[in-house]
Amino acid sequence: MTLRSLIRFFVLLGALASVAARAEESAIGYVKTTSGEASVTTLNTRVAAQPGTPVFLGSQLQTGAQGSLGVSFRDDTVMSFGPDTSLTVDDYLYAPEQSRFKLAASLLRGSLNYVSGLIAKLQPDAVSLKTPSGIIGVRGTQFAVKVEGQTP
Amino acid sequence: MRPAARRTWLILGLATLLSQLAACAWWRPQDRSYITLMASPDGSVGRVLLQGERGEWLLERAGDAAPLDGSRAPAPVDPAVFQRDFAQALAARPALPQTFVLYFGSGSTEPTADSVALLQDILANAASRASADLSIVGHADSVGSAEFNEALSLRRAQAVADWLAAHGLQAAALQVRAQGKRQLLVTTPDASDELRNRRVEVTVR
Repeated sequence: MTLRSLIRFFVLLGALASVAARAEESAIGYVKTTSGEASVTTLNTRVAAQPGTPVFLGSQLQTGAQGSLGVSFRDDTVMSFGPDTSLTVDDYLYAPEQSRFKLAASLLRGSLNYVSGLIAKLQPDAVSLKTPSGIIGVRGTQFAVKVEGQTP
Repeated sequence: MRPAARRTWLILGLATLLSQLAACAWWRPQDRSYITLMASPDGSVGRVLLQGERGEWLLERAGDAAPLDGSRAPAPVDPAVFQRDFAQALAARPALPQTFVLYFGSGSTEPTADSVALLQDILANAASRASADLSIVGHADSVGSAEFNEALSLRRAQAVADWLAAHGLQAAALQVRAQGKRQLLVTTPDASDELRNRRVEVTVR
């Protein structure tokens, strides 16, 4: 291996490591439970969900006909999904140092169980869930939503 | 069949039908999209504001449901319908996050004796999860400057993180942060020696 290719290798390695570090920093939550078909799609890249899969701002969480999925977010919000579900995280901000909080998601179809975390506790009007026929504003609680849509 | 017997059967049949209708009074086949308010895991009941295309409602009672388009007022959900629609989502719910608080001596990064015992509980809790992620947040009391306490609280948090890592903690992610004396658990005047403020909060998710 020439010196130049060795240098190139280490530069590439460093770049990869910094991408991985940034990914971990910007993860807003992690997959904790799965069964059947379940995936996380971020920036058009779809990965099969398994415990430990990171979730990012803008990620689309999906389950198949026999699938289910559970996610815990950095502010301790917990969401879990039944079969045939699609939810997108539109906005997520958990910055207690600056007292800035926001959680907005869209449930396109399927079933969701939501358990509120610190965002809903610290700023009750900061959490909203959009569905095709109505918007849900959360004032710190647990709820379940079902959206029956067109089959995908 | 005698007329009296026929009447009895008719009344019984009607009564059954009516009681079934009453049991799912709020439920209609067209309400395929709806929300149900539930009690929080700690037993408290919060509120949900529903803004539908056809109306706005506030849900305040656990077990109340309403169609997402807001076309009808919240009413108790039929438990059988709720089970049918949400059993799988509820079964997929991850173990809820748990927070542990460790306390420290004045100016020290050594946890108190009681808190040292908690470290094992944190390890066990993380190990019980298929995949754990942790945040470790250091705090200080109000003795000393902001800069001093910022650094001290970070060293406390890092000491806890190092101990956990050295004792086999497996985590998908571990976030270490410092709050200095900005977030006192017990409000005190400045320069107050207060054990309850010298802490590290570890959340296992």
